[in-house]
Amino acid sequence: MRSSVSYILSSPAPDTRMSHPDYDQIAQDHASILILVHHQEGLLKPKSFTKVWDKIRRVNHTKVTDSAGVTRQVYIRYVKDYPVESNDWGEFQTHRRLLGLISVGQYESQTDLNEICRFHESLKVRYTTTLYDSRCILFGKENEELQTPSNFKSLPLWYSDVESCSDLESQVSELLNSLFWVLESKRQLFSGVSPLFSRMHRSHSQERSREKLDRVPLLLAPFERKDIVGLDLESRTNKKKCMGRMIKHLGDLSLQAGVPHEALQHYISALDTLRSVNDWLWLGGAAEGLCSASVIVLYPGRWRTFPIQRNASLPPSPGKRRPGLIGPSSLPLGSLTPVPIVEDAPKALSPEGILRRYQEAIQNYAKYQSAGMIETEACFKAAQIAIQQGCPLQAASFLKNVVLINLTLTEQEKIQRFLSLSELYTQMGFHRKASLCRRLAATRHVSDQNRQPDWTQCYNLMLQALDGHRLSLDPTERATGGIAEGWPALQIHLLQQLVVAARRMGHSALATRHMTFLLQTMWHHLNPKEQRELTKQLQKLASECEGAPVPLVLDSRAVIPPANLTNIPLAKNFRLQDLPLHLRPQKIQKLKEDMGPFLYTPISFGSLDRKSTKSLSRMDYVWVEGDMCEVLLDLYNPLPFELKVSNMRLLASEVVFESIPSSIVLPPDSGPNTVVLAGVPKEVGELEIQGYSTHTLGVKSNCQLRHMRHMPQPSFTVEVVPALPHMEMSTNDQKNNNLQLPPVDASVSITTISKSLYAGESTECQVTILNSGSQPIELLEISAQCVLDPSQLKQVLQWSADNIQAQLPLHPGASASFTLYLHGHAEYIAPPRSDVNDGGSQPSSLLSGPSSLPSRLSSLASTPQPSRHAHHNELSSGSFRSQISSRSGSSIGSSRLNPKIYDPSAPKVIDCQLKLRYSGGPGLEAGYCRVKSISLSLEILPSILITSWDVLPAETSSQFYLVLDVTNKTLGELELFYADGKVMLLEGNEECRIAVPVERCPLSKLSKLYQNIELTDVEKAELDSVCSDHVASLVDLKWVLPVSNRSGKASLRGLPLTSDMLDIVRMSPLQWEVLLNKEIAKPLSELTCVAGQCLQLGVTVQNYLDWPLHNVALSLKFFQEYQSGIRNYRLDSQLAVAGAPNVLITQLDDQSSVYHECNVVFFMPGLYKIDIQCSSVGNCSGAHPPGDATESTPAHTWKLIPPIELTVTDP
Amino acid sequence: MADEALYEFLHSELVGYVTEKSAKENKKDDLSALEYMGFSSGYRIIERLTKERPRFNDELDTVKFICTDLWSTIYKKQIDNLRTNHQGVYVLHDCAFRFLSKLSSGRQYLESAPKYVAFTCGLIRGALANLGIKCLVTAEVQNMPGCKFHIQVQRS
Amino acid sequence: MAVCIAVIGKENSPKYVACLHSENELQFHYKVHTALDVVEEKLSLAGKSNCDVRELYLGLLHSTEEHKIFGYVTNTKIKFIVIVEAANTTLRDNEVRTMFRRLHAAYTDVVCNPFYIPGDHIVSKKFENVVKSIMSGNS
Repeated sequence: MRSSVSYILSSPAPDTRMSHPDYDQIAQDHASILILVHHQEGLLKPKSFTKVWDKIRRVNHTKVTDSAGVTRQVYIRYVKDYPVESNDWGEFQTHRRLLGLISVGQYESQTDLNEICRFHESLKVRYTTTLYDSRCILFGKENEELQTPSNFKSLPLWYSDVESCSDLESQVSELLNSLFWVLESKRQLFSGVSPLFSRMHRSHSQERSREKLDRVPLLLAPFERKDIVGLDLESRTNKKKCMGRMIKHLGDLSLQAGVPHEALQHYISALDTLRSVNDWLWLGGAAEGLCSASVIVLYPGRWRTFPIQRNASLPPSPGKRRPGLIGPSSLPLGSLTPVPIVEDAPKALSPEGILRRYQEAIQNYAKYQSAGMIETEACFKAAQIAIQQGCPLQAASFLKNVVLINLTLTEQEKIQRFLSLSELYTQMGFHRKASLCRRLAATRHVSDQNRQPDWTQCYNLMLQALDGHRLSLDPTERATGGIAEGWPALQIHLLQQLVVAARRMGHSALATRHMTFLLQTMWHHLNPKEQRELTKQLQKLASECEGAPVPLVLDSRAVIPPANLTNIPLAKNFRLQDLPLHLRPQKIQKLKEDMGPFLYTPISFGSLDRKSTKSLSRMDYVWVEGDMCEVLLDLYNPLPFELKVSNMRLLASEVVFESIPSSIVLPPDSGPNTVVLAGVPKEVGELEIQGYSTHTLGVKSNCQLRHMRHMPQPSFTVEVVPALPHMEMSTNDQKNNNLQLPPVDASVSITTISKSLYAGESTECQVTILNSGSQPIELLEISAQCVLDPSQLKQVLQWSADNIQAQLPLHPGASASFTLYLHGHAEYIAPPRSDVNDGGSQPSSLLSGPSSLPSRLSSLASTPQPSRHAHHNELSSGSFRSQISSRSGSSIGSSRLNPKIYDPSAPKVIDCQLKLRYSGGPGLEAGYCRVKSISLSLEILPSILITSWDVLPAETSSQFYLVLDVTNKTLGELELFYADGKVMLLEGNEECRIAVPVERCPLSKLSKLYQNIELTDVEKAELDSVCSDHVASLVDLKWVLPVSNRSGKASLRGLPLTSDMLDIVRMSPLQWEVLLNKEIAKPLSELTCVAGQCLQLGVTVQNYLDWPLHNVALSLKFFQEYQSGIRNYRLDSQLAVAGAPNVLITQLDDQSSVYHECNVVFFMPGLYKIDIQCSSVGNCSGAHPPGDATESTPAHTWKLIPPIELTVTDP
Repeated sequence: MADEALYEFLHSELVGYVTEKSAKENKKDDLSALEYMGFSSGYRIIERLTKERPRFNDELDTVKFICTDLWSTIYKKQIDNLRTNHQGVYVLHDCAFRFLSKLSSGRQYLESAPKYVAFTCGLIRGALANLGIKCLVTAEVQNMPGCKFHIQVQRS
Repeated sequence: MAVCIAVIGKENSPKYVACLHSENELQFHYKVHTALDVVEEKLSLAGKSNCDVRELYLGLLHSTEEHKIFGYVTNTKIKFIVIVEAANTTLRDNEVRTMFRRLHAAYTDVVCNPFYIPGDHIVSKKFENVVKSIMSGNS
């Protein structure tokens, strides 16, 4: 404890030229001889001097045998410079005296030599009070002419050069020897003083000590000299003082001379003496001496070691030391284990005693204002001993008040003091205190009193101080929690000072770096005000020098790792995006490989393992080389002002990736702002996205995901597949405005074609493909997807695949086109109306059919005139229509309609997707393709609708009339062309009836019919469909809309026909020839006969089939037809028939005919008609009676058409 | 004396609650929540218990404290037997563990016994953690109502 | 009459620091920080030698001309540091011990709060009140 009350025995004005404390001193130095080795500047290079210096220093002790034959160890301490003032303290402590001098110089000429010698002499003069001996080492060529000047009295040592001074060590040893003997003689001289000594050693040194000193001179410390005047030396106290001081002096000499045990005794006796006279200063000196002697005795061998060069090649000790550390390198390292006390030194102090004595000594020194240097050195020495003993607390107590010792020091000396303190504290393990001292040293470098502020040194020291505060400059270390957290407040303060130092040093990049580091790592510990201020400072700093994420290497070879700002702005939700839909590559289906009999294996071996190791960091989708890919990121701005973030790029590795920079300005205190980072992979492989880089507040940062705590994944991996071509499509569909959108910013590109067609209308649409990428398109496949089944789709939509194939490969920039043929396919046949009664077929209505024929014929004859009100045909009454409709309702063919109940009168919309798969270049080789689709929407409006149909026999037997009720389902006028040259004009929603003449289906198409075998249902259906197809193929209904000039064709495919109708459709297999009175009656000719006359009627039926017909019933019927179309068959009273009007022909062989004759007499005149028909009653054998309807084979009826007309006249 | 009963009831309710909760979430026998509760409690109570006590000499001293003071404060009795191999493994044997003593002493409830010692395992672990000893505590019930706690110190 | 009171956690990071006058707060931070070195040293010493002093109160750690620094370490390795002015010579050892005892009691109460996660900064009003009363010298 330093008391503040004790500046006694000292004058207020201390010595002005006080030397500075020697922090390198150790306790053992008390026993060393001091030699100065002076380097003569000039020709001798520092490196050579260092070699010489090392050589000299190797001689750090020598063994001398003294006069008594005892071997003594003499130790030497070498210094490179020594202040003269320290010499003044030589009386107080003899080891401070400079005893030897060695000059080292190189010469080439006489002048050099003279210079060296002169300087040497001047040094001798300077230290003349204490110097015993000196040497001068001269390096130079042997030259006889060069001689030392005449006034040179020292011993020169000549060497040619630094390498060849082999006997230097021996010369030095010799010097030491001589010094020792001088010292020894002095010791012997004074040894007579001590009664104790003389008692002990009288026998040895009698002759030497004969020079008894009657008066013991008073030894003085430098500042005591002033007080000496007027002091009465004879008083008892003073005499005792003199004695005590002398004994202490003797002790010092003994130590230096290598007899520590004697020294111990001397010191102890000096202590007693001086204590009685309260000579504090010398008491302290004696105590200190005692400690040194004890140290030497207790811990032998702990001398200054040959210093280890701190090379860069030595691995630095882990963690704590940094290169460039300043510190005494020649101190004995390591701790002292208290050596077992040697038995024959009972007077040495115990280890604890040493420290206690040091305490006492320091306390005594503290009483003197001018003894600051001694006190400081004593504190340091004591602390070192304590550290080596392993008592750091004691050491700390010694060092506690070093700073407070009143010494006038220059700034440099103060810095040195702090550095030595910090070194000691580090040795103790008091890292925090050590770094505090370093920090203080750093501030001293640039304090106001310092006339030469050195910011570089300041900075370096600050950097070293970081460690003690548990601050590492590598932000990744902190992020992973490697080092325990320190004190945030202090760390922030320290970092701020570091920034200031760096800036003043002129290294603005460093300043920016440290500021970045501060903001990065301490963000959470700063309050908002500080955050704002520091951010502004960073901006200012960065404006001088931008921060970049590269490690900075300083001159001191320290490496400052990069600090990246990941807190400003804060990023979350780093997510990779799949390519936009139209650019996603898909795997081309492999051709069916021969994988053996197993087509499908539900278990894939090892799939369970694969599932569990599927990591979230690997994306399911792929990216394409050469195409832009995106990553989304949410940014938060924690600052209260606007933040501009520019040059944001992605960091990627493994695969060459060109990132495209983007910028964003974030509003203050804003929440998630999504930013898109894009890039283009330039290579194929596995791309690893590791993070992103930003440029904000003037600092460039590389923010790696693995260093950011809140990111779930350290990196993301995406597979990049080889380049695929780009394709753009356009159509010439003008109606549709949704043409191809510009591909750059469209995430979805839709090509749609929508057309509206009338049923039966065809149109085409041209699709143009442009290769907008850089790869050729080598593969282009089109497929269509629709709800309709493929066969129906083919009706609606067609394209030419060969045409497309012929245009490949499509090179970049080229375009190709293909045509889509669209047809409004629809059904034209109306389904049965719901109000139809399900009656059975009414064959009797057939009879009514022909009766209307004439009127129909007449109406047909008038068709060249467009009849506007055709549906008002008087014959075609509603009832008639309903009959037809009922007939059509009962037609079996209704089952042949589209099984879905749909109403053809409603517009139908067909949606279809055309998928175009295209690929090329390296992507094709890798098996990937892209898909683009065209969505096709076809609206089919009904044009005409056939509501009912009927078949009527025509005038000739090779044709028949197909009567159709056609409705115009459009809203406008429609012209219907149905036969050669025949046109019907219909208003909107108007209905008309047309009769289309059609060739009857030739028998050649119906090979299986009428055979005497059972027909299966399938065969029957097949035959029916043949007829129906025949009809459809011959009937061409074409409609035209005159207003919009659109036209189309309607087909009668699928028209269901009953068997009665079919009979008419099919060419009759029977031909008739009618003979009236042996004259052939032509069908349309006028036939007359007289009433009452017998008419012979002969019918020849010929079978044109290739097989016989069985059970054909021929019947002749007479009837009369009225204007109203009613046929009257009951003509019993008007005619009589002789012969059989009905005949059953059992077998009508093929190609043969049968003749039947009968006679008829007409009673009444009039117009009569003869209906001649044959009907087959099934294909059974004739055993069954006719009329038996057990066989369900349909009955066929063939008629002679037109019926024979006979006019009967009056006789 | 009423506080003894309070503690026992609270503890058995706690066990029931945790068991039911883990059954609902279909996590079979998840006693980690219970153990954590014990950890938290032990951590905090040891602060109070060691307030007046002078510093521990070594690890064994600390474990002894657990056996005597902590146990008597909470379970109103001391550990009956402490064994150690002096290398970081300690076995605390309580012949009549308080929570188990209310269950029948046959083998009937042996399977459900772990539920009732999980909390105490955490308690010991928390207490030692706050005293600077990281360890792993497991319990073993062989004969009801006795229970052995195995402490394994983890020196890293 | 303390000038600064600090509570330091197990891994030597501050849990609570309060100063009477807030202008020199940073300086006190530094003082407490360096005092930790001494505390650690004393703790390790206590481990090595079976010295008689096994109590929690560490005594005077460090003294400068202006301040005296006292330390106290609980069994759970929580450290309390109290800085008093050196001019305050009327402060007896017992009084310092009392201060620490109150601090320890307050800290124990904080720990027993189930919402307090050990290792966080202490933000309890009750604790602050106790600290304030210690600093102002109320008993």
